[in-house]
Amino acid sequence: MLQRRFWILILIPALAFLTVFFYYPLALVLKEGLSASALLSVLSNSYYRHVITFTILQALGSTLLTLAIGLPGAYLFANYEFPGKRFLRALLTVPFVMPSIMVALGFILLFGKQGFITTLLGRDLGILYSWKAILLAHTFYNFPVVVRMVSSLWERINPHYEEAAMSLGAKGFTLFRRVTLPMLSPAIFASAMLTFVFSFLSFSIPLILGGYKYSTIEVAIFTSIITMLDFRTGAALAVIQMALSFTFMYIYLKSLEKYAKAEEQRVFRKPKKLALREMLSLKGLTIALYSLIVFIFILAPLLAVVYDSLTWNGNFTLEFYRRLFDSSYNPIFGSDSLHAILWSFTFGFTTVLLATLIALAMAYSSLRWDLPGKTFMDVLVTLPLGSSAIIIGLGYIKAFHKPPLLLLGSPYLIIAAHTVIAYPFALRAISSSLKKVKASLREAAMSLGATDFKAFLKVELPLAFGGVLVGAVFSFAMSIAELGATYMIYQPQYTTITIAIYRYLGSRQFGSASAMAVILMIVSLVGFLLIERTGEEVW
Amino acid sequence: MVRLLLKNVRLSRDGFELNIPELEVKEGEFFTLLGPSGCGKTTTLRIIAGFEKAEGRVYFDDEDVTGRPPYERNIGIVFQDYALFPHMNVFENVAFGLRMRKIPGEETQKRVKEVLSLVGLEGFENRYPEQLSGGQQQRVALARALVIRPRLLLLDEPLSNLDAKIRERLRGVIKRIQRELGITTVYVTHDQEEAMAISDRIAVMRNGRIIQVGEPLELYYHPRDEFVATFLGIGNLLELKAVNGKACVGELCFETELDGNVKVFFRPESVVVGGGATAEVIDYELLPGRMRLFLRVGNARITAERFINELPFDPINVPKKVGIKVENYVILSP
Repeated sequence: MLQRRFWILILIPALAFLTVFFYYPLALVLKEGLSASALLSVLSNSYYRHVITFTILQALGSTLLTLAIGLPGAYLFANYEFPGKRFLRALLTVPFVMPSIMVALGFILLFGKQGFITTLLGRDLGILYSWKAILLAHTFYNFPVVVRMVSSLWERINPHYEEAAMSLGAKGFTLFRRVTLPMLSPAIFASAMLTFVFSFLSFSIPLILGGYKYSTIEVAIFTSIITMLDFRTGAALAVIQMALSFTFMYIYLKSLEKYAKAEEQRVFRKPKKLALREMLSLKGLTIALYSLIVFIFILAPLLAVVYDSLTWNGNFTLEFYRRLFDSSYNPIFGSDSLHAILWSFTFGFTTVLLATLIALAMAYSSLRWDLPGKTFMDVLVTLPLGSSAIIIGLGYIKAFHKPPLLLLGSPYLIIAAHTVIAYPFALRAISSSLKKVKASLREAAMSLGATDFKAFLKVELPLAFGGVLVGAVFSFAMSIAELGATYMIYQPQYTTITIAIYRYLGSRQFGSASAMAVILMIVSLVGFLLIERTGEEVW
Repeated sequence: MVRLLLKNVRLSRDGFELNIPELEVKEGEFFTLLGPSGCGKTTTLRIIAGFEKAEGRVYFDDEDVTGRPPYERNIGIVFQDYALFPHMNVFENVAFGLRMRKIPGEETQKRVKEVLSLVGLEGFENRYPEQLSGGQQQRVALARALVIRPRLLLLDEPLSNLDAKIRERLRGVIKRIQRELGITTVYVTHDQEEAMAISDRIAVMRNGRIIQVGEPLELYYHPRDEFVATFLGIGNLLELKAVNGKACVGELCFETELDGNVKVFFRPESVVVGGGATAEVIDYELLPGRMRLFLRVGNARITAERFINELPFDPINVPKKVGIKVENYVILSP
């Protein structure tokens, strides 16, 4: 089995990489944080208790708001065909690829003291630097997921169920509550859990939009290291966060399994067509209103960033873009903008290469072979999902600050961090598309004379290519949007776009921050178009 | 129990047009809508149930239910895929309609128990649909439709997802229960054998129209046109010229009031072998207890089927020529 040897040759370095750059640093964090005294000192501190409670409450609040905005959309998408539906569907994919620091910046530009909405309404809504902004930004990211997952299941509910219930006397809300809702519940629960986990572990949004008062655990770990250099507190917080996030992640993965099983049904429902003239009916107007809200909600932060990057005191200017390509030293972040852009792309592309390769090896070996201890390996491989970028940064500080592993401050360590953060997402995209390639195809190819490896190269890989591409785009997007971990381990000469934006925000230079963010936006849009072209279901 | 009447029902959609000037189903009758897929039989059933809006009127006895939503019609319906609620067990599924009617718990218990014993599923209360076989699911669906004591029972191809053996047994179960309860029933199927076996009367449908309504044997032996004739089973169709009240081929003649081109139709078992017109035996095959003969009379080919003990010759020694008479034939409308 030549090919088997080939894959083992890739699998072993992949596992070695994860051992050095994930399990080892993680173990160091656990070792430090899992001491009774460290945990007690955190738990007895009322500020940290407040942080933990707030983290859970804001995740809960974000989930509820997300459901409130997502569920009506799911209903409309599953039951009606209306003009502009395709456009709306594409629009709903946009938040998924937008870096959170850019969205946070957009929210500042909308809701700040001189923000667009503040100016428009003539008064400050008090959304910024409070829990409200955090909830709103988390909803921005997650309501499309609710729309997608719930409507996809809704389309798969055989209308005969509702008709049978109707013939038995059920109607209106009773019909929905007793028959439709229970059948939707796997999708509602799974998408709610996903939102919850996302909001629980979110970093840039609470960091920038929340401030000290509305800090989450992730932000608290970050500040304990960056401002107080208190590794012990950080590690204890990390242990608490991990214990919680693993529990939530476990519930999420279980609920996802149930959802995936329910989604195996074929599509039964034909959405009712609403012609253009019917848009004036009550139903039509509701749809139009919902579409408008989605349109504004998604595009407003993006347009605010673009507008801000092109104006200075209300006048059009390209000055901020000229400054992007300025190679003179910028004291705000200790490097120059041109290099920040170059480093971001360098990190992005190397991450794509490493993460895709590791993910491919993992996905292939776990799907095609019955290796001993497979379940154990599956757990090990998905472990990074339950940790977080900040915890990885924390572990790196401990693991790589002295010889023989003195890597702190080197660009290679940043690449390693990005790879560890990005690869679980690449893995999911790749395994889900590889799963759809039937094993019989490989066997057919081999019966026709292809070697194992040829069969992979000529049959399996081309068929799973969409998933590989999506995985690559994800990896790039994760790398280029990464802020927390990079910030903890970088040196000024390796400043990235996101760090530059964060620094600009700290010195309230919004124009320059916006110009940088527009670059992120363009890169993300290119990724978005690539994903759209593959036709793969991404969320 | 109720008499069902459809008046001037019309529905057109995506190039398909349903048009039923009148259709009556009598009290307590087992009535079948039979036709190939796409003929409009399921649509008709859905109009009766109130799931589809159409022109025209639907009456239950003298009550006009046309505008009524399904949940106010008091009907029981069984779908081809049963549509058992997957999140409820058998008891909850069957009790659903009683809950909707706010029937007290004790009576619900009693009625669910009764109806489950009627369909032969006592003791299955706590099972979930996915734990049941197709036949069992079908019977739960039937129980769920019956427990509310509907005025009308509607069955939409309830047996077509089952394999042949269970299908035959369940069709007996359905028939027995329908008789016991005396409930007016409309049954939809594309299976002519099933329709013949189970129905009091059948309406044969094609392209959105009802072509012929009648009792099974009437339709079988006296189809109105070629479509009904061939849809209900194999037969002989001869295209002949009628002169002076007679249409002949070889020595075989049929009486008719028409002149000119006519179509004569008869079933293989209507051909009596022995005496009458001379027919050449081209081939034959033995079926269990019966013999099928392929004959030529003049330029026409005729298939005959008789029980072996009815044959005037030794089945081991089939003669080259036999005499035949046709006992039961129809002249189809042109």
